[in-house]
Amino acid sequence: MNSLIRGTSVIVIMLIVGLGWSKIGAARLRKRGVAEAEAKSQASAQAKKFSIIAAFLYMVSMVSIAGLFM
Amino acid sequence: MKIMIWMLLALTPAAAWSVYVFGIHALVRILTGTLSAVAAEAIFQKLTGQKITVKDGSAAITGTLMGMAVSISTPVYAVAFAAAFGIVAGKQLLGGLGKNLFNPMMFGRLFYLFVFPDSILPWRAPFTFEAVSGATPLEILRETGQTAGIPLSDMFLGLIPGAIGEVSTLALLIGFSILVYKKFVRWRIPAAAFSAVLVLAVISGQNPLYHFFAGSLMFGACFMATDPMTSPRFPKGQIFFGIGIGLIIMAMRWWGWQTPGEYEFTEGTTFAVLIMNLFTPYLNKKFKPVKK
Repeated sequence: MNSLIRGTSVIVIMLIVGLGWSKIGAARLRKRGVAEAEAKSQASAQAKKFSIIAAFLYMVSMVSIAGLFM
Repeated sequence: MKIMIWMLLALTPAAAWSVYVFGIHALVRILTGTLSAVAAEAIFQKLTGQKITVKDGSAAITGTLMGMAVSISTPVYAVAFAAAFGIVAGKQLLGGLGKNLFNPMMFGRLFYLFVFPDSILPWRAPFTFEAVSGATPLEILRETGQTAGIPLSDMFLGLIPGAIGEVSTLALLIGFSILVYKKFVRWRIPAAAFSAVLVLAVISGQNPLYHFFAGSLMFGACFMATDPMTSPRFPKGQIFFGIGIGLIIMAMRWWGWQTPGEYEFTEGTTFAVLIMNLFTPYLNKKFKPVKK
């Protein structure tokens, strides 16, 4: 894997988790009776946080998994 | 703003020493890191319609630290990407200064180690800039369990190959003492980290001074782990935070990790600080002083 692919993969992971959670989180909050706009706002903030944690875990795990096979 | 100016002043001895031993190569990387971080913050804030806050100096410090955390073999573009990623993903995405979960510089550094794993190599000798092909002090320690035959005085002064801002323990301590004197730093964190390293080194029969002077322990514990936005606010939390960093660093030094490239991590400061950043909210909650 070269640098470009590795760098892109980090961004893609962040996008998938971020966009995914902003939809899932908003739906969960709406189910709990939170208003539409508030649910979107809260889910968006959570999604950003989760996307960063996902990027961190991805990078650390890729480094350690790569280590196991090298 | 005032604290940021003092922080930059505190970094000056290590930065000046690195320019002395590694010449213009060091200066270019430090300036690249600084400019990239500031530019990334300004562009992101402009694009998202936020107030531009680069004048607070925090982005400049993140970038300066990033530039100091690489070797002179590292391509300039890698420094620029890492600094920009640290600022945008590590800081701005969560709302900017004070809202970040991870230390932005360390987050950028993790990105750099993952995306450009071999760009830190080869290490280069001070003054001559010749590539050093032999194992580093920490690699020798990991492989043999023994300390390398490098004089401790050279390691303390900074006459060894290594990352730009990390080679001179003396210069780092001078800078750190300025922050302690001005009470701008959470000194318990490095004190606890050094204590953990000291105890583990003594138990394993290794020279603790070797551990203190090699790698990025000094740089990371004094300047990165003490980031006021991502480290615990209360004394007991700071002690646990520091001990955690010391334990993870020693674990990495003993066992290490292989990167996707040729470079083997024998230093775990980046991982240690980022992992402990995850515990900061818990430590703040757990050790919040109870009002009587």
